[in-house]
Amino acid sequence: MLKSLHVEGTTLLHRLSVRTKLAVLFAASLAVFLTVDPFVLGGAVLLSALVFATVGVSFSQAVSRLAWPLVSIGLVAGATAFFETPVHGLVVLFRFATLILLAATVTASTEVGDFMEEITRLMMPFERLGLVNAADIGLALGLVLRFVPEIATRYESLREAHAARGLPVRPLKMLAPLIILTLKDADMIAMAIDARGLRRH
Amino acid sequence: MEIRFADCSIHYGETVALHPLDLVLTERRIGVIGLNGSGKTTFARAINGLVKPSRGHVTVNGLDTSEDGPAVLGTVGFIFQNPQNQLILPIVADDIALGLKSRGVAKAEVAARVEGILMRFGIEHLARRRVHALSGGETQLVAMASVLVTEPDILILDEPTNQLDLKNRKRVIDTLAGLDEAAIVVSHDLSLIESFERVLLFHEGRLIADGMPGDVVKAYEAVALC
Repeated sequence: MLKSLHVEGTTLLHRLSVRTKLAVLFAASLAVFLTVDPFVLGGAVLLSALVFATVGVSFSQAVSRLAWPLVSIGLVAGATAFFETPVHGLVVLFRFATLILLAATVTASTEVGDFMEEITRLMMPFERLGLVNAADIGLALGLVLRFVPEIATRYESLREAHAARGLPVRPLKMLAPLIILTLKDADMIAMAIDARGLRRH
Repeated sequence: MEIRFADCSIHYGETVALHPLDLVLTERRIGVIGLNGSGKTTFARAINGLVKPSRGHVTVNGLDTSEDGPAVLGTVGFIFQNPQNQLILPIVADDIALGLKSRGVAKAEVAARVEGILMRFGIEHLARRRVHALSGGETQLVAMASVLVTEPDILILDEPTNQLDLKNRKRVIDTLAGLDEAAIVVSHDLSLIESFERVLLFHEGRLIADGMPGDVVKAYEAVALC
């Protein structure tokens, strides 16, 4: 079961600074829009997949992390292929697949705490301009990375509860209780953050 | 320590969660008991300002929970029924450090205080463990450490032994007994509060008994089993 997006390890990617990894991800997200050649973009997908494979994520974990994002992109790419051209659809698919693989590589090789610290540091200039609260943005990002796997755990519990009662397990049927339980958890987490004084007032 | 409820009542829309209450608490170990939905959690949350009075005031060591929110949060620590939800970072030591970092404590001091609190609770070996891999008792102890590292004067624990096995329950009770801080414990676990200095019994949003554990537990049994 997916419990954390981070994978422990000592690979080169684990040792790289968070700032470097975010800079590469940012550069890649621009670079994939500089070309519409499906062969170049296909190569980018392969390269990203190879990089992702080096962080030590098992195959089953990779499937549970990437399946839904890739299905979503597949739908968008399918719609693009249908309304425009198949080549356009392929370009969309390859672009976003590259970015998802690279983003998954960054989250798998970076501790949530390091992420939060770096994002907070990067946001400090904007805080000085009075535009944002840097620590709150770091905390928000940390919460997403920390609690997204909890949603997967909650889904698994619901699935088991349905199976135990002999009810057919239909993902769509579980959506409503999953959203309600997640919102309840979110309320408790927000309250806990206030109780611990983690947000600036 | 002095917690004062002055004509304090709390409403959720039309529902009265806490009827007008005048009360002063100065004891170091206080238990809060009552049936489900009796208002005891609302009462506990009002102490650290998570729930604001609809009427009247709650003060903690002279700080008003409605007006001095951040200062009250620094004075009163809170452990929730499900402590897993209050552990924000995935690594134990990182999570304990988070409260200090957000208060702007210097890096070297953060490290020293995290190490100190882990040793105080005897959980140094958990420092690099992932919070989702902890047992129920360990989670409760880490949650207590993450709150106490910021040095509040008062700790509120909501059902701290809920869903713990006997071994972990004993561990939490022993730790609680050794705390220097004042503690207010909301619990259905009557043996947990039997040695406390004062116990409050809530029923349907009203404080109906207040005194020594033996007397209040008898009143609770009369209400619950009638």
